[in-house]
Amino acid sequence: MTDSSSTTSLSSDWKKIAGPLGAFTILAFAIPALLSGNRYLAFVAGITLIHIVWTSGMNLLYGYTGLMPLMFAGIAGISAYFAVDLTASGWSFWVALPVGALAASIAGTILGLPSLRLKGFYFTLCSLVIQTVITLGFVYFANLTNGDTGISQIPLPAAPGSGTISAPAFDLILAAAAVIGVVVLIAITRSALGKRLIAIREDDELAEMLGINVTRYKMTAFFIGSLFAGVGGALYAPYIGFISPRSFDVLISMNIWLMVAFGGRGTIWGPVAGAVILVPLSFLLQEYYTVKDVIYGLLIIAVIVLMPGGIASGLKRTTRATEPVAAGAAEQRGAK
Amino acid sequence: MSNANWILFLSTLSTGLILGSIFSLVAAGVTIVYGSIWMPNAANGQFFLLAALFGWTLTVSWGIHPAIAAILVIGVSVPLSYLLEVLLIKRFYDVPNRNISYFVLSLGITQILAGVFSLTYGQWSDQFQLPPLITGITFIGPFPIANNRLAVLALAIAILAGLFLLLRFHRYGRALRAVFQNRDAAALRGVNVKASYSMSFALGNAVIFAGGILFALAYSFDLTVAWTMAITAFAIMIIGGPGSVLGAVVIGMVFGFTQAIVSVVASPTIAAFSYLGAMLVILLFKPSGLFAK
Repeated sequence: MTDSSSTTSLSSDWKKIAGPLGAFTILAFAIPALLSGNRYLAFVAGITLIHIVWTSGMNLLYGYTGLMPLMFAGIAGISAYFAVDLTASGWSFWVALPVGALAASIAGTILGLPSLRLKGFYFTLCSLVIQTVITLGFVYFANLTNGDTGISQIPLPAAPGSGTISAPAFDLILAAAAVIGVVVLIAITRSALGKRLIAIREDDELAEMLGINVTRYKMTAFFIGSLFAGVGGALYAPYIGFISPRSFDVLISMNIWLMVAFGGRGTIWGPVAGAVILVPLSFLLQEYYTVKDVIYGLLIIAVIVLMPGGIASGLKRTTRATEPVAAGAAEQRGAK
Repeated sequence: MSNANWILFLSTLSTGLILGSIFSLVAAGVTIVYGSIWMPNAANGQFFLLAALFGWTLTVSWGIHPAIAAILVIGVSVPLSYLLEVLLIKRFYDVPNRNISYFVLSLGITQILAGVFSLTYGQWSDQFQLPPLITGITFIGPFPIANNRLAVLALAIAILAGLFLLLRFHRYGRALRAVFQNRDAAALRGVNVKASYSMSFALGNAVIFAGGILFALAYSFDLTVAWTMAITAFAIMIIGGPGSVLGAVVIGMVFGFTQAIVSVVASPTIAAFSYLGAMLVILLFKPSGLFAK
């Protein structure tokens, strides 16, 4: 849908997105700063920012490439454990973060290999199996992960100079990560890479016939998508201060997927909106923690039954009433 | 063989048979639904747990005899299936590539039921144990086995046999198998395909519920059994071949014995790793499964 009107030049494309992007950047930095008086609310904002990084990565894979990787949280977890273990063994967090994210990218690229053979449900099932294996691995290799108990009291990263960075300063780093994540996603979708990924999403056999190297581009998508997962995971661990296999299990993958699908896959701002709506919701319900599961479950069903394109497509349909047929067709194919 | 080895052998054999027949039941239920309406039901583990927990409420809280409770639990699956079909499942009958929609839908149902269970039963108890169907102990040589577990084994095998007879000889069963093989041809030959969808959805879920209540009668359980069962049933279905009830039963038995043997010599995590590894290999290299026609 985003590629249907690509007659405009690249620079005017960026001009179109500059307004929303500017607004998003200001809000991403301003909201944690404004809430810094109330640590709890600032914390909710910070977690939302981490989820924006994650949904952007999931959106690249699910929204633009048409793959539904349910091992996404597991990949984030690989990076988180890497970063925590390396930091604990004396590395600087700022070195451990890229190393962990890179490890996640490599793992994600390898674990994405089945997508070359399997499509639709079979790939998703395969990714679910991989996620389960990763979770079992987190429990099993207890010398690295402390098993089911998890690792607690993870310190915030060291500040330049001495001591650790303050929580409000870390909020700003999270804001920067979220903004960079969205900018990278916009850049990809506006580039030739993005167009090729969309072609693969729409029909990968046809894309192959048109001379697109499907193998290479699917692997590229997994590498970049997993990098998003990894950066989010490495930032998540010191921010929360506690990680366990349950922090990165299949439910978390489903939650991130839901934020993308609920917001509107294959759009830049839909998944961001999904994270902004759904993450604070889970904190509102923290007293009744399991009520969150019920509501998320109902939303999954609602997305599948009522709004296959998410809330963004609902808005689009009312404003661009001229192409509902094309949108419907794209949804049908995307649902493969 | 020494007495100790003999006991170990018989206990592994009996555990393998009981687990295997319960795995077979659940996987058969999943594969019947996938083979006909193309719904990969990831919520099968939650349905399994629902049956077990419902059985617990009926027997422990309300004091109903376990045999009557088991019949009630299996009976209640039929209206529940019908309700679910009318509300959700029916909407997708004509959608191409509906298996992925169904898969995500059933993951949503999984999340809802998991939330509901930990909100209710999770607050009441950690471990659930049903009263036995029958009391007493039988000795097979030196090996003592509870009559209750023998009864569960007999019932599980009887239900599996009944399922085979139904699919093989009854009019509905033959219509179901015709739809498995080729739904267009079946429709042309006068099979009411939509009616067979309803039938197989109800039948598949009833079999899953039967597996759940039988498991609960034989073993104590907690809420985590749902996810383990869901993944195991999927692994069995994929390896046996989606839509193949014979494959589900054979691989289900293999898995039951694997679980019984591995839990003697190593940790259950190793058993889970081996299932998942086998499933990945089959998915990648022979996605139609070992018993596909």
